[in-house]
Amino acid sequence: MQDAITALINSSDVQGRYLDTAGVDRLRAYFQSGDLRSRAAINISANANSLVTQAVAKSLMYTDITAPGGNMYTCRRYAACIRDMDYFLRYATYAMLAGDPSILDERILNGLRETYNSLGVPIGATVRAVQSMKEVTTDLIGAEAGREMGVYFDYICSGLS
Amino acid sequence: MSLVKQVILNADEELRYPDPGEIRMMQNFFKTGDRRIRIAAILANNEQRLVDRGSRRFWQRCPVTPSNSGNPRKTSSCQRDQGWYVRLVAYCVLAGNDQPMAEIGTIGMKEMYRSLGIPLANWVEAVRCLKEEAIVLLGEEDAAEAVPYFDHIIQALALPGTPYFLNNGTSDY
Repeated sequence: MQDAITALINSSDVQGRYLDTAGVDRLRAYFQSGDLRSRAAINISANANSLVTQAVAKSLMYTDITAPGGNMYTCRRYAACIRDMDYFLRYATYAMLAGDPSILDERILNGLRETYNSLGVPIGATVRAVQSMKEVTTDLIGAEAGREMGVYFDYICSGLS
Repeated sequence: MSLVKQVILNADEELRYPDPGEIRMMQNFFKTGDRRIRIAAILANNEQRLVDRGSRRFWQRCPVTPSNSGNPRKTSSCQRDQGWYVRLVAYCVLAGNDQPMAEIGTIGMKEMYRSLGIPLANWVEAVRCLKEEAIVLLGEEDAAEAVPYFDHIIQALALPGTPYFLNNGTSDY
């Protein structure tokens, strides 16, 4: 995985150069948003369970998907679904802290769509659930940090579809 | 690798969120960001000066060394490498972590220089001279951010292994 700092260092190193002005500006902005990111991460980790519960309640619970024949019917499948939502939230938080989405590709998105297709997990419903997780997370951590988290939730969605 | 990345990988290993201590560590890291950017910029702008003065200091201590043998190719490749290591130190100062140095510059360094026939003890001395020049350039306080990474290079060379070339002034490199 990369983070905002590592990514800049690696791209400068292949050219054998110091960071250019644009890179330094990006780095400075990242350091300055550090406090915001840390506080958001603390907040999310304290409320991870309820965020998943709220997101599922908002998007999936009262739809056909939890009824007999749906892909979340049976406790086992329901549990697998909320486990995945939990993963999405945790990795989106990591990516937000790092300021770089590459960990999402490496740990979540590679092969996920194929896995979901082979298990019959509907992509559309998953994307809806991630989107409502974005909403409930933004409600919790505020608009500014929510926008930053939103980038990585959207990244998950676009990686899925 | 930066401190942030390290915290994330540790947390992921245990499927958990970063704990409060780790978050505090990151917050400190973010807070010192401006200072570290400034120090890295000073190193970047003074690479040539560090290399020039470091070399002069080095040749005083180790007059018999390939870079001082009168062969301009050897001199310029030695100074090029010194410049590269200054750059890696600047990366490390930004990352707050010695991983960029290890990944780019020190894993395999000893083997490489040995196969090139570079006397390792002299290279240690050259890095030490660079470090001393960096302290002169940055001042004690700022240098504290950069010195550990110079020491990292020196330590990587000093790890036990086969015996080094001795720098007793008699070899004819």
